Amino acid sequence: MTERIDLPGLGFATEDLVRSLSRDLEEPDWLLEQRLAALARYAESPIERNRLWTTYVDLRPVRFAEIEPWGGVDSVAAPTADPPPGAAALLHVRDDAVVERALSAEARDAGVFLGTFSEVLRERPDLAGELLAGESPLPADDKFGQLTVALHALGVVVHVPQGVSLAAPIVLRWSVGAAGRGLFARTLVSLGRDAHARILEEQAEAAPADGAQRLYAGTTEVRLGDGATLDLAAEQDFGPGTVSFLNRAASVGRDATLRWALASVGGDLVKSRIDNDLVGRGASVQQVEIGFGGGSQLFDLSSYTRHLAPDTTGDLLSKGVFQDRARGYMKGLIAIDRLATGTDSFLGEFGMLLSRKARSVTIPSLEIDQPDVRRAAHSSSVGPIDEGQVFYAMSRGLPRDVARKHIVLGFLEPVVARIPLPEAQERLRALLDRKWDAGREAGPAASAA
Amino acid sequence: MALTQREIVANDRSKFDFKDEIVYLRETKRGLTRDTVEEISRFKDEPEWMLKFRLRAYDHFLARPMPTWGADLSHIDFDRIVYYRKPSEREEKSWDDVPEQIKATFERLGIPEAERKFLSGVGAQYDSEVVYHSVREELTKIGVVFMGTDQGLKEYPEIFEKYFGTVVPPEDNKFAALNSAVWSGGSFVYVPKGVEVPLPLQAYFRINGENTGQFERTLIVVDEGAKVHYIEGCTAPIYATDSLHAAVVEVIALPGSKVRYTTIQNWSNDVYNLVTKRAHAHENATVEWIDANTGCLTGDTLVARGSDHVPISAIRTGDQVVGLGSDLSLELGRVTATKENRPQAVFEVEAGGRVVRATPNHPFLVRRAQAAPMWLPVASIVPGDLVAIADGSTDFSPVSAMRYAGEQVTYDIEVAGTHNFVANGVFVHNSRVTMKYPSIYLRGRGATADIISVAVAGKGQHQDTGAKAVHLAPDTKSRIVSKSVSKDGGRATYRGQLKVAPGATNVVASVRCDALMLDDQSRSDTYPYIDIQEDDTHMSHEATVGKISQDQVFYLMSRGLTENEAQNLIVQGFLEVFTKELPMEYAIEFNRLVKLEMEGALG
Repeated sequence: MTERIDLPGLGFATEDLVRSLSRDLEEPDWLLEQRLAALARYAESPIERNRLWTTYVDLRPVRFAEIEPWGGVDSVAAPTADPPPGAAALLHVRDDAVVERALSAEARDAGVFLGTFSEVLRERPDLAGELLAGESPLPADDKFGQLTVALHALGVVVHVPQGVSLAAPIVLRWSVGAAGRGLFARTLVSLGRDAHARILEEQAEAAPADGAQRLYAGTTEVRLGDGATLDLAAEQDFGPGTVSFLNRAASVGRDATLRWALASVGGDLVKSRIDNDLVGRGASVQQVEIGFGGGSQLFDLSSYTRHLAPDTTGDLLSKGVFQDRARGYMKGLIAIDRLATGTDSFLGEFGMLLSRKARSVTIPSLEIDQPDVRRAAHSSSVGPIDEGQVFYAMSRGLPRDVARKHIVLGFLEPVVARIPLPEAQERLRALLDRKWDAGREAGPAASAA
Repeated sequence: MALTQREIVANDRSKFDFKDEIVYLRETKRGLTRDTVEEISRFKDEPEWMLKFRLRAYDHFLARPMPTWGADLSHIDFDRIVYYRKPSEREEKSWDDVPEQIKATFERLGIPEAERKFLSGVGAQYDSEVVYHSVREELTKIGVVFMGTDQGLKEYPEIFEKYFGTVVPPEDNKFAALNSAVWSGGSFVYVPKGVEVPLPLQAYFRINGENTGQFERTLIVVDEGAKVHYIEGCTAPIYATDSLHAAVVEVIALPGSKVRYTTIQNWSNDVYNLVTKRAHAHENATVEWIDANTGCLTGDTLVARGSDHVPISAIRTGDQVVGLGSDLSLELGRVTATKENRPQAVFEVEAGGRVVRATPNHPFLVRRAQAAPMWLPVASIVPGDLVAIADGSTDFSPVSAMRYAGEQVTYDIEVAGTHNFVANGVFVHNSRVTMKYPSIYLRGRGATADIISVAVAGKGQHQDTGAKAVHLAPDTKSRIVSKSVSKDGGRATYRGQLKVAPGATNVVASVRCDALMLDDQSRSDTYPYIDIQEDDTHMSHEATVGKISQDQVFYLMSRGLTENEAQNLIVQGFLEVFTKELPMEYAIEFNRLVKLEMEGALG
């Protein structure tokens, strides 16, 4: 019997809770079994499986004991035909309810599915068998992903059938931030052969700084059929007191392409892990990820990319800007399997520190079993704002602080530019802008304290 | 006892595989207990504080779990190891006083010649005790101390009390604790204020007894403004059971000093090589680790270089081929063994009125424009380059012509030469597991750290190596360059740490890791940790992993090289960052060994 390893202070991950969630949601037995298996894996997994990372992120400040997880989500808005302008579909979750859902006529006619696990089980047994019962791309040995699978109160499925191309994005909006509550949610995304789609995840809530603890644990489990293309962008701006565990995992088929553009701005502690499994020949992933931390925020941004088939490509870029006492950990691993010949992979981790108390840790690693690579490289740099650039901008008439701000925002722009909806893009720019300003205000105060 | 040319050739394959039958004067029982520790200390008649230090370390060794990361260490059996063996009663001052059998071993390794020819001082360690040590008289006169660590402890107690165990405390890791408990031998170096030691100091370590653990402890204290280059080389005979080498090296570079520490490691396939090497760089000091975890360059280099023993008159065409100062002679020595008779591509380099013929990968000392001289293979030389070809001098002459001289049996010298080395089996017999991360703590403002690490992992080996630079003071600089080659199923892992602590402002740091994999059975891992806690740090890191480019091979083959030669040349180019930091006699041998290894690599 393996020893059970709980997260410090986390007492609610029990079989009782798992059973009651499953009962509330009227799940079939096999889904309950799936949850219980995940609970067992959660219990026996160390906080970090990867020995390279173990010592780095301390979860003790998270007050799990003050968190009450939401029960099964049964309030689900019926779909309308009016998604927001420019979007193909919307699903909006607020705390423990799906408060809004919309699917454009075009998307509906093309057979796009956007609904909950309960709906899939009721209405689409074909998808249920394939997606819910099939193997998840989540790594079986990741404690946080398995915890979410065991305890999810809500499951969302996005399915784009074979050959369907949606130009407008599907928006998944998560407004979570009720004091003392925790939402566990799974999202399954599947694109059939040669389907093309864009998804925008918006994770935000204007929670008051009331000292209360909040938790969001979410998965995004992506399966891309052969030749499919998915652009998945995310803006995370959780409120104060929020801890988030984000597990994004993808299985990328033959000649399929996955593009991540992920921005982390809010929350107290963000523990994010991305797993890219390139399983089909010619599969490709491009990942750009930014974190902009201030105050005492902690961002732990890990990514694992496994080349499991020949001629696969991984282009992975993480950038972090940290001010005040913020800390950022950018941890990446590229693994090239012996069967994967002719791969091309690059991992870049770049940090910018704006204050003396900020800290950046980068661990870009490579594990290579197949030397027949077109490229296997990583690169990392950490530095302050380039004074040469500041000087240049000032010589063009910008005040010093404005010059610095432009350089920082320019550093983060590659992700912003890939956010699909113009409004969402503008919102992220404004968010980063405010973050910079907040840092300037907090700066002297923080150093005085 | 000098070996003749014939003997060297005849002994080729077994040169380093011999095991001496030595009756040890003292040895401890197998296994480690508190008594073993006390016994070692008693043998050595040590001061009380050292015994206490050993016991404290012993307690920590027991309490400390085995590391769970890195290479597989599960096969180490601490109970089978003999922790202390003493072959000789005392450290000898003169080579002639060393017991005959031990002397023979070191003669085979070429140490006396090394001392006479190139080095400022040599220490030789045979199992646990340093048997021979000398420093050139003039160095002694100006206060340079180079002796066994045990003797140093007796003669310079104040330096030991001040520095011993301060850079690597016993609590640092399990193997440092083990070393601290049972250490014996190693080198002690002290360079007084402002003294520059003009030539490298050099030490050899050798494990002879089966299941002997070797736990040498080296302490190097370089006083303010002083300068020294220390070279450590190793070799071990091949045994079926496993030996453990757990050394600790402590370097203290006091303000304004400059220390370079070069390691060329070659333990046999059975050895677990678990070494803690660390330096403290104080204000404006510079510390450089040049660390090669590959074949032994020292033993065979020097044996083969023994021009005294290799009659030049017996050689026919060799002098045309090399022409590099005093080292020229040893190259010629190898040309005689042309029995191999393998035709090879040869280039003629014409410079300063001489014609030198050499295979394309043969390194020449080249100077370009205002750059410092570097070792470049013939194939990289272009007319106009300045090359050193004159005997016994380092004069540089411009290359007036370069010609491809076809595949010639006559100029088979690389094969002939390397065959002497093939013989020693050194390159092939690296240690089974190496875990070694030379580190530099930059403690004083303006200190500089430079680490160059090279690892070649062959069959059955795991080279888990890397480097650490810890910036603790403002205005400090560090550079880490790691190059690894893995082949025949070997695994090369780079594991490094770069840390900029709070308060260490205005730091400039770079880490570069490159790995070359020669076949698809091998594996390469890169794990850099980069932890920056100051906002005005300028850090950059890059890593690449790849195989030999077929385009490059094709290109070189189109220029008349065989596939083997082409691959070899590419590997040499890859490792050049390391080679060019070596003293020239080492650089030649290093390239030769790489070539040798490459020949074995390809069917």
